[in-house]
Amino acid sequence: MVTIVVYKWDIINQLKIKESELEELLFNLKSEVKPVDQDHVEIEINNDRPDLLASSGIIRAIKGLKKLELGEAKYEVKKSEYTLSVENVDTRPYAIAGIIRGIKFDEDKLKELIQFQEKLHITIGRKRKKVAIGIHDLDKITSKNIVYKEIPLNYKFIPLNGNKEITVKEVLESTDQGKQYGNISVKNGKTPAIMEDDGSILSIPPVINSEKTRIELTTKNLFIDVTGTSLDAVISTLDLLTTNLAEIGGKIEQVKVLSAQQDFWSPLLKHTTMRIYSDYVNKKLGVNLPTSQIVEYLRMARFDADSMSKNEIEVIIPPYRVDIISQIDLVEDIAMMIGYQNLEPSTYKLSKIGNTSEKTLISRKLRDLSVGAGFTEIFTFVLTSDREIQGDYVKILNPVTVDYTVIRNSLIPTTLYFLKQNQHSRMPILVFEIGDVVIRGNTDTGYKNSTRAVYAIMDSKVSFEELQARIHQILYNLKINFSYRKSEHHLLIKGRTAEIIRDNSEVIGIIGEVHPEVLEKLGIEYPIVISEIYVDKLSGDNE
Amino acid sequence: MLSENEIKIVEYLKTKPDRTASAEEISKALSIPISSIYSLAQLLKEKGYVRTEEKKVTKYELTEEGKLRLQNGMPEERLIKILNGQNKKISELREVLGEELEIALGWARRKNLIKIDKDTITPLVNDYHSPELDLLRDPSKIDNENSKQLISRKLITAKQETFLLLTLVQDVVETTKAITYITPEILRSGEWKKSPIKEYNVEAEPPFYPLAKKHFFKEFLERLRDVMIELGFTEVNGNYVELEFYNFDLLFQAQDHPAREIHDSFMIEGKGEIRDEELIERVKEMHKKGWKYEWDENVALRLVLRSQTTAVTSRVLSSKPKPPIRTFTIGKVFRPDSIDATHLIEFHQLDGLVIEDGFTFRDLLGVLKEIFYQIGIKEIKFKPAYFPFTEPSVEVYGKIEGLGWVEMSGAGLLRPEILQAVGINSDAGAWGIGIDRLAMLLFGLKDIRLLYANSIEFLRTFTG
Repeated sequence: MVTIVVYKWDIINQLKIKESELEELLFNLKSEVKPVDQDHVEIEINNDRPDLLASSGIIRAIKGLKKLELGEAKYEVKKSEYTLSVENVDTRPYAIAGIIRGIKFDEDKLKELIQFQEKLHITIGRKRKKVAIGIHDLDKITSKNIVYKEIPLNYKFIPLNGNKEITVKEVLESTDQGKQYGNISVKNGKTPAIMEDDGSILSIPPVINSEKTRIELTTKNLFIDVTGTSLDAVISTLDLLTTNLAEIGGKIEQVKVLSAQQDFWSPLLKHTTMRIYSDYVNKKLGVNLPTSQIVEYLRMARFDADSMSKNEIEVIIPPYRVDIISQIDLVEDIAMMIGYQNLEPSTYKLSKIGNTSEKTLISRKLRDLSVGAGFTEIFTFVLTSDREIQGDYVKILNPVTVDYTVIRNSLIPTTLYFLKQNQHSRMPILVFEIGDVVIRGNTDTGYKNSTRAVYAIMDSKVSFEELQARIHQILYNLKINFSYRKSEHHLLIKGRTAEIIRDNSEVIGIIGEVHPEVLEKLGIEYPIVISEIYVDKLSGDNE
Repeated sequence: MLSENEIKIVEYLKTKPDRTASAEEISKALSIPISSIYSLAQLLKEKGYVRTEEKKVTKYELTEEGKLRLQNGMPEERLIKILNGQNKKISELREVLGEELEIALGWARRKNLIKIDKDTITPLVNDYHSPELDLLRDPSKIDNENSKQLISRKLITAKQETFLLLTLVQDVVETTKAITYITPEILRSGEWKKSPIKEYNVEAEPPFYPLAKKHFFKEFLERLRDVMIELGFTEVNGNYVELEFYNFDLLFQAQDHPAREIHDSFMIEGKGEIRDEELIERVKEMHKKGWKYEWDENVALRLVLRSQTTAVTSRVLSSKPKPPIRTFTIGKVFRPDSIDATHLIEFHQLDGLVIEDGFTFRDLLGVLKEIFYQIGIKEIKFKPAYFPFTEPSVEVYGKIEGLGWVEMSGAGLLRPEILQAVGINSDAGAWGIGIDRLAMLLFGLKDIRLLYANSIEFLRTFTG
């Protein structure tokens, strides 16, 4: 989700709507709106709709929703005399360019264009790695022949906001943009550059433009370069930029791209044709619309659409609707034009009998018995600190705090930590928890969840038997055949520790008194008896 | 007939020379809660053993300013000390006394300690000791009269407190031994027929009992499970450690999608394996066609802590299930974030999946409406939304009293590309509901961390 800030009166006045209407209209376009100040609002835009990252796109969409304009918004396109020669650039092979003439900027419009560029960088451009945009004042460019090629790092120019010529290397080291994006496309001492054929630099993508071609409030004509690692993304980005600028009155002119492979004119403004079937739409949405009505909705969504037969519709996808992958994407647009609030939810029909998982079944039984045995249920985190646990456990490679660096492999440490926090509470404290830990397993990840139950008693005086008596009754009521076997555990007192064995073979748990050494280390001043039961091993033939 | 505690009180009063003690004193001496002493005193009075008297006492406490003055001295006293019998200019004094100068001058003049002539201060005394300070030092000397000025100078506060005094007026002469506990021996011997049975103070507050109870948030999760089961869904579970393949790739999330960056999921060392070669090929194809890039199997094999329970749905989809299918899962998911009153790094989601021929978007809205209705959220609205794996997509907003509309769920029809990749020739819808924040709102909690509070006293006193 991306947010943009726009001058709201532009939208409200152009659409002739009331201020209060804007929120609902945007809600129906997937967007939420929040006031910023008297004149500006912040709008949340979903990642699938980069065409809405500028108010021009939002206005275009709402015009359809309100039936002020139907079908695709058409923009006049001319060919310019400008060329862009694309040489071999390894790290960033694709470059295209376009021209916009006759733009009238005011402060808000200029700010919005910069914002649009930045948001495209973040989304479709993947933080400039995939796509980067340079926007220039066309009238400050002397030559009509622009070149895209690699230049050495000692090449000099004045970067945007700079006042003297410095080398590319210095730009990368001294400017914020240089530090942030400098290492994306530099390789073997060379950086890609957009330049005039006389050698003066327009931009070094994806880092920074030159001061020479800076755009200002007085700028009327724009030269836009787009470079990147994906031709599709580069083409879409320039289409998005130029069509949105055309929506606010700019005239699009194409630049001839000359490359070793082929020559072509950009922006491409390529349209695709898609067939959609009325019965498909009706079946997906659960409605019964005639083809003519579906055509109408598609036109409201700003697509050119015509019915080809009773069931078939031809839809032209405009270049800026980069989100339309298949028919189903058009179905969503149709649903949005109908309005989600007008789609009556179907009455719920029960079709099957529901079932709990085995894990839930046994956990529920165990919880009932545990409360019956006098334990209060606690709920602790799965993530814990590597300071707390031992043995084989899963480590997080990118933890956010030292308190949560690993996944617990036993409930005993997290329970002891809980008890430590409650030493000054009213005694006795009897607690239990049923929860998952992660251990190694023969799965496709090498790890698996294991469900455990932990029981603990803390009081000024506790006994092994006091806990054992309760656990014994719980297991007995699960109809398990079990016994105890003397054992050892690194947290428990030797001679006061036992494994719980099922059917004389499988270990299903451990029980014992916590060693004073452990209590001392944890800073616990009360004795504790504790038991951990392996819940996965309790289910099965115990009915 | 006196109870054990009543006798204790009588015995205690006997030890006092004037046979009198306050309820507070008795409570401390006998370790009986003060509230019980009040009710016992009432009983003893009714039975004629004690006389009670309520005494009102005014207690004086130093304010913050009072404490400060006690430490630094009264401003007027400091002034006299600084003057030390000499005339001084106001500006000179301000340098030393600062903001306190005005207070010092005001009181010094009122107490006739100085004379002010334009900007010159002439002391009328060489030495001054303010009586207020003595009172602050020993508040027991404060009385009704001298407290007035201290209160008006905001140096102390006065509080009325009531004491209950008990005076023994009749000694206990027990002729017969009363029965406290009815024992098997007493029943067998029939002694209860001869001796009276001691009365209990049945109106007193009982001692604390550590009631065993289930955790309120676990119970909420169980309720959600019941709702889903009643709606005909079968529960499935998954593991916390998951392949990126199931957490992202199968769900049509491009490998360079911002949501897959390192700060958006917890990474785990190691690589997993995908045993279904055909599935890998289809998913690769899906990404290539849909997002137009070279899909990398090695990225899909990386391990993460699942960031959405949709990973479990993903597993169901890839298990070649035979429709009709209705499954759900409730479980923990993990996301790097800062931990505060509204954010956790591990929380719960409920994910649901329906695969049925002819399942429509309106059917999906119907399922969502029913789920929320059963949870108790009767008013909902739908907003168009975007998720990589569903189309059309929808967000569910529910109305919560006092809060308004709250985003509760993301849902949609599964993209046909995904169904094709897993080889399911049917219609499907899926949704995810964030549970913790919903629970926090429904329980009226101000801090989401209280769902996992590590205070036993909170669990004992919280009643849901």
